[in-house]
Amino acid sequence: MKQIKILTDMDYVELYADKLREDNSLFKQHKVLIESQLKSSSSLFSNMFGKEDFKKKARDYLRNIGLI
Amino acid sequence: MKNEEGYVIENKTIKINRDLNELDFFVRDFLNILKKHSDYLVVSGFVSISTGRTRGTEDVDIIFPLMEKTNFFNLFSDLLKNGFWCYQADNAEETYSYIRGLNSIRFARINQMFPNIEFIPFNETKKSKLFEFNHPQKIKIDGFEFKIPMLEFEILYKEIILTGKKDMEDARHLRTFFKGILSEERFKECETIIRRELK
Repeated sequence: MKQIKILTDMDYVELYADKLREDNSLFKQHKVLIESQLKSSSSLFSNMFGKEDFKKKARDYLRNIGLI
Repeated sequence: MKNEEGYVIENKTIKINRDLNELDFFVRDFLNILKKHSDYLVVSGFVSISTGRTRGTEDVDIIFPLMEKTNFFNLFSDLLKNGFWCYQADNAEETYSYIRGLNSIRFARINQMFPNIEFIPFNETKKSKLFEFNHPQKIKIDGFEFKIPMLEFEILYKEIILTGKKDMEDARHLRTFFKGILSEERFKECETIIRRELK
């Protein structure tokens, strides 16, 4: 079996895209990663702001970081 | 999900062979409302991620042609009625002042910050955006169909204009994943348009 040496993040991106083109089973990992990241950011901000006055607290935060 | 190739082309539409994820549902819900009021194009990170690039994202960029105030008010009201909130304001009049000035606004689901939609207006002065908007590519994932830019445009825009690490990796993903369907002729056409933006 051919040995593939991964050198950089870019090599990994290319290798993954190559494999994915031929075999869609890798999309299962893709789904897990995307959903895990969404869940993490969602719980982070729910914990920070709670449900009461969420928008007000969120806008204060967004103003502080210069996003609005 | 059946084991098969990553994508196939069906009637000029790229069909990605995967199941939908939570990020897709978020974008689909937003587009289902937007489509009733305006044309659009999903651009940037979501193009790479929806076609298999495995990285996190916080925002999904959607461009749309600058719309009249009344039309925007209807869209805004529809979005709020259907569970979205706008970062900038709750008031359509105030929010429209951003749009009129060609500044983007953001929407997320109620009680959530991320993911969010960065909703980006453009007009005929934005030649590059106008070009990508007028040359859309349809993509379909498990019944969810939406429009993205021509792949060659998306790749070059990341490589020439954006140029950050994640953008260059996104571009490499697209070049590799879609290598069988990319066209040198289209690359040349898009490069001319994109390089004009640098002048």
